[in-house]
Amino acid sequence: MKYFSVRKSWILVFAIMTIFTLAACSSDETGGGSGEEPDEITAWAWDPNFNIAALELAKESYEKDIKLKIIENAQDDIVQKLNTGLSSGTMKGMPNIVLIEDQRAQSFLKAYPDAFYPLDEYINPDDFAAYKLAPTSLDGKQYGLPFDTGVTGLFFRTDYLKEAGYTMEDLSNITWEKYIEIGKDVKAKTGKDMISLDPNDLGLIRVMIQSAGSWYVKEDGTTVHLKDNEALKKAFQNYKAMMEADFVKANSDWSQFIAAFNSGDVATVPSGNWIGPSIEAEASQKGKWAVAQIPRLDMEGAVNASNQGGSSFYVLNIPGKEKAAEFLAETFGSSKQFYQDLVLDVGALGTYKPASEGEAYQAENEYFGGQKLISDFSKWMEEIPSVNYGMHTYAIEDILAAEMQNYLNGKSLEDALADAQAQAEAQLK
Amino acid sequence: MKNFLKIIRHNSLFLKMFLIMLVSIVAVSVLITFSTIRMSHNLFMETFSITNSKVLSQIKQEFESFSYSVVFTTMSVENNGTIKRSLIQDHVTSTDESSSVYTISQQMENIYSDSPNEANMIVLGENKRLFNMKYAHWPVTAQELLDHRITQYTRANPGTIMYQYVDGKITNDVPMLVATKALMERSTDNIYGYLYIPIRERDLREFYGGYTSKGNDVLLIDGSGQVVSSNKQEWIGQYESDLLAVAKDTEENNLEYQEVNVFDKDYLLLSASLPALDLYLINLVDQEMVLDNLVDTKEIVFISALIVLIAVVVVFLISRRITNSLRRLVRQISDMAKYDFGKPIDESGGYEARKIAIAFNYMLNELQEHVDELLQTQRRQRKAELEALQHQINPHFLYNTLTSVKFLVKEGKKEAAFDTIDALIPLLQNALGNVDETITVEQEVANIHNYVQINQMRYGDRIKVNSLISPDCLHYHLPKLVIQPFIENAFFHAFTKKKYGFIQILIAQRGDKLICEVIDTGDGMEVDKMQSKKGKRQLFSGIGVRNVHERIQLLYGPAYGVEITSEVGKGTKIKITLPLSDEKTKDITISKNNTKRRFLDG
Repeated sequence: MKYFSVRKSWILVFAIMTIFTLAACSSDETGGGSGEEPDEITAWAWDPNFNIAALELAKESYEKDIKLKIIENAQDDIVQKLNTGLSSGTMKGMPNIVLIEDQRAQSFLKAYPDAFYPLDEYINPDDFAAYKLAPTSLDGKQYGLPFDTGVTGLFFRTDYLKEAGYTMEDLSNITWEKYIEIGKDVKAKTGKDMISLDPNDLGLIRVMIQSAGSWYVKEDGTTVHLKDNEALKKAFQNYKAMMEADFVKANSDWSQFIAAFNSGDVATVPSGNWIGPSIEAEASQKGKWAVAQIPRLDMEGAVNASNQGGSSFYVLNIPGKEKAAEFLAETFGSSKQFYQDLVLDVGALGTYKPASEGEAYQAENEYFGGQKLISDFSKWMEEIPSVNYGMHTYAIEDILAAEMQNYLNGKSLEDALADAQAQAEAQLK
Repeated sequence: MKNFLKIIRHNSLFLKMFLIMLVSIVAVSVLITFSTIRMSHNLFMETFSITNSKVLSQIKQEFESFSYSVVFTTMSVENNGTIKRSLIQDHVTSTDESSSVYTISQQMENIYSDSPNEANMIVLGENKRLFNMKYAHWPVTAQELLDHRITQYTRANPGTIMYQYVDGKITNDVPMLVATKALMERSTDNIYGYLYIPIRERDLREFYGGYTSKGNDVLLIDGSGQVVSSNKQEWIGQYESDLLAVAKDTEENNLEYQEVNVFDKDYLLLSASLPALDLYLINLVDQEMVLDNLVDTKEIVFISALIVLIAVVVVFLISRRITNSLRRLVRQISDMAKYDFGKPIDESGGYEARKIAIAFNYMLNELQEHVDELLQTQRRQRKAELEALQHQINPHFLYNTLTSVKFLVKEGKKEAAFDTIDALIPLLQNALGNVDETITVEQEVANIHNYVQINQMRYGDRIKVNSLISPDCLHYHLPKLVIQPFIENAFFHAFTKKKYGFIQILIAQRGDKLICEVIDTGDGMEVDKMQSKKGKRQLFSGIGVRNVHERIQLLYGPAYGVEITSEVGKGTKIKITLPLSDEKTKDITISKNNTKRRFLDG
């Protein structure tokens, strides 16, 4: 019996040692199963001072408890990541909410129709500026929640214009031809250039044609519409006229563009409302600026309102989409108070029409000589003609920029546009 | 203390064995652990330096291809007439300016699209025209850049491509490595602009980021000793001229690696120079950390410690078990010598100890049997001897007695002759019986009277014999011829000087012993000489005084026997101590054990 118990204790020792050895060999295995409903909602945006700040504000004002993780990515990176992610179809690593520029939106919606989650059940599209709906919807379904407006205005130096003999009234409701005339006067009388332009960026052309309800493509969003595009022709002519009037200061990047007006070198900045804070950044020019309506093309149907830039939020069709949609709907989609805060705290002008009745929209802007800037912009916003940007805005613009140079250098307008048309059709086929 | 020493002495075998085992186990484990760690360390170092050298050369290739594309881009920009024109011309009209800006941008786009990586490209004219391919990466203005030290250096060294580290406000605290080159007119050596190819440190990190891991760090250090890029962000921007010196040394002496102490730690340093970039690529391996990841020293030590512990416990138990049984064996054996040979030792403990105990017990039994047999034989021999002596009635005694009787008859003393013969008969009868037989005290006393009567008849009654027998002792038995020899002795030796005297015989019970005393009032003697006295001719039988004591002890054990006290001139006292014995037992008394013990003690 004793012998046996000794035997047993040896077995025990052996067993213990075996266990230790095995324990030493085994390693931790951590498995990561993808949860059906994530705790955390992620959002991608690009500007910490603007759209990211707006998201933060929305998070704060949201009454329900939500874990929102806002990730800053450069806009180009967002486009690239979305393309890579969505085309692979796995949706892995994709955010729940993503901000997309309106002029790019259609390309995503068309290319990946199932990747986005329709928001019709959450928001009432009619609450938003009409021009925002075409780019953010597809086949009658509303996918985007319109965020900021790119409603344009003509920012101008009251002192320079006054020196040249012009007042606010003279700049209101004018055509681009009139604008050029004024520009010539300003140049002659003050020696200042009228405008700063980047030859690689035809933003001004886009502003011009949208004011006439036209675009690089027809209403279907795909048919290239350059040749025989009356609005585009007029825009080109105006562009060339500006060049020939010799009051254009060229820039090649954003800082040079900013520097052009901050340094007082140019008299006007026809641009989206978002340029406001950059102008205000130069404190020494306080009170010397005002904003008029954007000039219009001299043609039928053209209005003194247009759009430049602007983006909208989209919800991706991945787990957590209901949470994300609900969050957006209750903040950006329906809260008047939120838009008041947005204007005051972030300086972002939304496209939610009921918000314009709020007090914050009536505020006077000291920098712009007490002008009710927000109120003006939201008024103009409602006039912006709606166009379908289609999918290829930037591709076509590259072609047009080259033809523009040709046109400036003496090529006939018809030929230039016809060539651009041909190139675009060949390239986008 | 004494107890402790005693414990140590008692357990010395165990302690010796256990200590030796302990020391050897610990030594073996420590040596094996140590050599295992060392071996894996060496193996790791060897393989690590090989793989890391390869990795380093791969990274180097990436940098070289980057520097090649920089050179290529630089050449393209320098050779581009359009760019040159745009940077030299002062534009008069908006159209000119616009087309110039457009074309330079297009040209740069073409050149830039050839260059891979995340590098940016900036062209700056002395006329403050700035073209920035990736504005978002570095929104810098013409004036800032023109005034910056990197442009000044470039201006000072127009012929070479320089790689310079830029950090701080101008880059919005995004560290960058900027390749710069002055753009010169060939004919006049006039600088008309500058080319910048900035790459953000975080993009530079992509070149090697994939090869790094915890404790395996890569850093780029420029000619001034400043860390330009590293996967360890806290190192970026620091000046580490010592590190640079070691890297240079490694490179110049073609060493595979060196051990250095930087950033307050010991590292293994591998390096490669990137001469085109005037940079050194350094790979720092935190030996400790990497080794810890690779070889879990703690675990190895823990396992060996555990093994040692288990082995020690097992050794402790086993050696204790073995030595305990041995120790018990030894103790039992030594105790045996002290107390009792008859007690067999415990047959317990380990196999060996049990075998030894069995063998020992077997031997003990054999020995005992042998001794018993020997004792038996001796006793038998002695008995036979005594018997022979007893039977050997001295013929002189018979002759003398018979002669005395003849004279009595001749003298007509018929009555006396008859009495003498009457006394002689039971005396002879008694003497011829078994030596082992006992007789009652009464009979013995009668025998003695007969013997005395014969002697008195022969030698006259000048010596008087009185006997005082306690009546309650009469029925006790005692061996034959125990008292008679002393009476005889007293008759023939005690009264050589004195002619008259008494012999007293006292028999009484004292405690559980029967005491017989023979007291004479004779000459007395010196006790020592008693042994040598040998009366021969007058003796009644072969049994003399000398062997009475022996006989008694043989029969009853050491507690009994004969004691003689004598005083010269006064007399002698013989005291015989015997057990009280009621029956006539044949096997007289002494147990086997007693015999044995007596034997062993002797």
